[in-house]
Amino acid sequence: MNPRLPARRPTAAVACAHCGLPVPASLVREGDAEQFCCNGCRQVRTLVHEWGFDQYYRLVDRQQGQLGPARVTGRSFEDFDDGGRQAEATTTLGSDRRCTRLYLEGVHCAACVWLVERLPAVLPGVDEVRLNYGNAVADVTWRPGHTRLSVIARALDRLGYTPHIHRAAGVQEARRSEDRASLARLGVAAACAMNLMFLHGALYAGEYAGGMASPYYAFFRWLSFVVATPVLVFSARPFFQTAIAGLRAGMVHIDLPIAVALAVTFVASAANTVRGAGPIWFDSLAPMLVAALLGARQLQRGAQRAALERADSLRGAAFLEFARKFTGAGPDAPVVEVPLTGLVRGDRVEVRSGELVPVDGVVLAGRSSLDNAVLTGESAPVPVSAGDSVNAGATNLGARLVVRVEAAGDRTRVGALLALVQDALSRRPMLLQATDRLARRFVQVLLGLALVTGAAWTAIGPVAVAMEHVVALLVVACPCALGLSVPLAMSVTLLRAARAGIFIKNPDALDRLLRVETVLLDKTGTLTEGRSTVTRWVGDEGALQLARDLESESSHAVAKAFRSAFGQFPRVVRTVDDVVESPGQGIAGRLDVRRVRVGNRAHVEAGASAVPSAWLGAADAMVAEGLSPVFVAIDGHVEGVAGIGDAVRPEAARTVAALHARGIRVRILSGDHPAIVARVAAQLGLPQDAAVGGLTPEGKHDIVAGMTASPGRTGAVVMVGDGVNDAAALALADVGIAVQGGTGATIVAADVVLTRQGVAPLVDLMVSARRLRWVVRRNIGFSLAYNIVASAFAVGGMVGPLLGAVLMPASSLTVVLSSVMTGTFARPRSGAAAPSAEGGA
Amino acid sequence: METIFVLLPLALLIAAIAVGLFVWAARSGQFDDLETPAVRILFDDDEPRASAAGSRTPPSDQRRLSQDSTRRVPR
Repeated sequence: MNPRLPARRPTAAVACAHCGLPVPASLVREGDAEQFCCNGCRQVRTLVHEWGFDQYYRLVDRQQGQLGPARVTGRSFEDFDDGGRQAEATTTLGSDRRCTRLYLEGVHCAACVWLVERLPAVLPGVDEVRLNYGNAVADVTWRPGHTRLSVIARALDRLGYTPHIHRAAGVQEARRSEDRASLARLGVAAACAMNLMFLHGALYAGEYAGGMASPYYAFFRWLSFVVATPVLVFSARPFFQTAIAGLRAGMVHIDLPIAVALAVTFVASAANTVRGAGPIWFDSLAPMLVAALLGARQLQRGAQRAALERADSLRGAAFLEFARKFTGAGPDAPVVEVPLTGLVRGDRVEVRSGELVPVDGVVLAGRSSLDNAVLTGESAPVPVSAGDSVNAGATNLGARLVVRVEAAGDRTRVGALLALVQDALSRRPMLLQATDRLARRFVQVLLGLALVTGAAWTAIGPVAVAMEHVVALLVVACPCALGLSVPLAMSVTLLRAARAGIFIKNPDALDRLLRVETVLLDKTGTLTEGRSTVTRWVGDEGALQLARDLESESSHAVAKAFRSAFGQFPRVVRTVDDVVESPGQGIAGRLDVRRVRVGNRAHVEAGASAVPSAWLGAADAMVAEGLSPVFVAIDGHVEGVAGIGDAVRPEAARTVAALHARGIRVRILSGDHPAIVARVAAQLGLPQDAAVGGLTPEGKHDIVAGMTASPGRTGAVVMVGDGVNDAAALALADVGIAVQGGTGATIVAADVVLTRQGVAPLVDLMVSARRLRWVVRRNIGFSLAYNIVASAFAVGGMVGPLLGAVLMPASSLTVVLSSVMTGTFARPRSGAAAPSAEGGA
Repeated sequence: METIFVLLPLALLIAAIAVGLFVWAARSGQFDDLETPAVRILFDDDEPRASAAGSRTPPSDQRRLSQDSTRRVPR
């Protein structure tokens, strides 16, 4: 039935002069020295050359980096000049300089750092730009008298690094100064520890050689006392503070036995120094503090901060920030970019094709279709025209719209949902760490042992000896390795997760993931791709390629579906002429010499004879699957039918099966039509009652609320989603996971933010949570073993400072090694989103 | 051997100064970002260019930048 199409050789791929990807044949300009794959690449390359930064490309080569296609938004960034917006991220230095933090998209290699930091050379008024490679945040020092922030933002944008004002500066400042202070404490303790070990080395050597002359002996001991004092007074302060605060609240924190050990060690040793006789333990005190506790906690803090900062950046880039407001009457009046706070009811804004709708409002002019998936979960685009109301957060898929503002910022539907999210977040309880649960028991045992030791030795000999043995016990029983157990394992896990693209904002989530009862999945964007693609194709491959080339002339939603079916492949035809688009019907044109029509049945029949019944049958089968059929006719004959719809992600079924295998109940919550949701459920092997469609965001929130409040719960309720309509439910669930492509609200609400596509990381998370608990238990086991052995020796009166000084680092080192070998979030070898193969469940 | 009574405290004093400097550096944020400086050392200095790369842009370019339109770059 299908006539053979002549074989088409795609034109030899020319490489883009900026990013190196192949240039589509239609964009090749004969006679130009350099070719580009897209306008963005052309703009960036031109600008880089104009400013004399060609060395950038040499640096990229040297780094063996790979550039992607450059994205230039072409915005004017006037909203950045608004004082209120700037204040969120700006500090004033002196009378005429400011430093603003901007998050930059598109920073992917070291050469980018070079390029961005070269800006002061070409922008007057900019003193310095420092880019943090780790989180892509740039500190721009500039003079308000000489330039404006919007000028700087435009320059960055035109280099391919779209800037966003980096919010939440206040909270981060507090965290930052806390981190710096703890680093200072760690440094002091480490320096003193090393000097103390060195001093005590002299003392031990003297003991071993048969005694040290009296003045030197006293000298070393007093020096050791002096060097140990800053450790206790400065570096150890947080431990005392936490221990006392815990006592006041009636709780026993793991810091309490540590603080007790530190205090006893120091006081006893000080007393012996003054006395001039008796063992001193200063060389155990500082390393106790350092190698163990401060170091591990610093690591954990760093890992957590990295994850939080990344989530902050992702969120900053995902929120609506500005709107294009009309400054005059009429649809062609000039438009200025303003921050959302600058809008009032009745203002008119422009929403361009491909952009987010910034406000709740009413369409005044224009005809287009909107993607409401993030708000409602509907996967099919919704047509809108004058008089229809629109909500903030929807994507404008079609033509330009003029919208009258009804509500902006907090008062939009999205804003209200965000408030719901914040409320749910604030009511979250904190979990006790594993070691804290042990702490109370530990203290009891330790005190009991100390009493027994003291009493027993007093019965046998002099009180002074008994006291020495009690001190020795309290010193070696210091649970410093115990205090290491959780922070080390946790920080290694967080860092590895981050490397696997999983950002864990809230480490408690890993605890909760140990026992999961239910996983609630959003449909659109989570289980499915979230956009229309050619899900099924029946017919000739060549016809599909021709259809794709014709559709690339259109910006219709269906056209986008065809385009995304192929990605970046070069075109197969050379010329496309006589393109006629019939709204709601289809598109027709001439590709080289062939006449091609793509559209619904009526459109295709308008160009030739009736559609044969075989093709109609195929189309009906697609409708039954929930897809929209689109016919492709070449020279009057139907060559194929495309089923357009929102495809289920390839790994979704596998993930659901894996969750079932772990005994977890899986349900789908979606705002899309129940029929579509039911079909997806069937595709994934779920029973019909496991899928609920047609839910509003509040509906999802209520379902989660019901589940978390139910008394017969056996495990955690996990909610996975991406859209604003999931955010409230995410915040309320025991563990909220935002998948890649999530909106700002979702990232705020979630405990875990995924940056890999799809839902496969879910299983990875649970496996790694198990593994983490195992490693923590192993660490605790090791450290307790050391404590028990050391305590046994101490009770027997056989422990001196030397043994203590050896046991302490040994136990800590064991825990460190054990933590580094956690094996959580193992890097999948194939690079695909495969769950890590862990046996340690 | 009595010199050790002088030398050791002196050495510790020098160490104390170093530690003090470290505390200052930590508090003023020198250790906030340890990743980017490692990347920066790979950059060469700018090569000398005929059209003075390191100086301000000429007034015509300045105007172009603030108006945000050049001949070749479409809006």
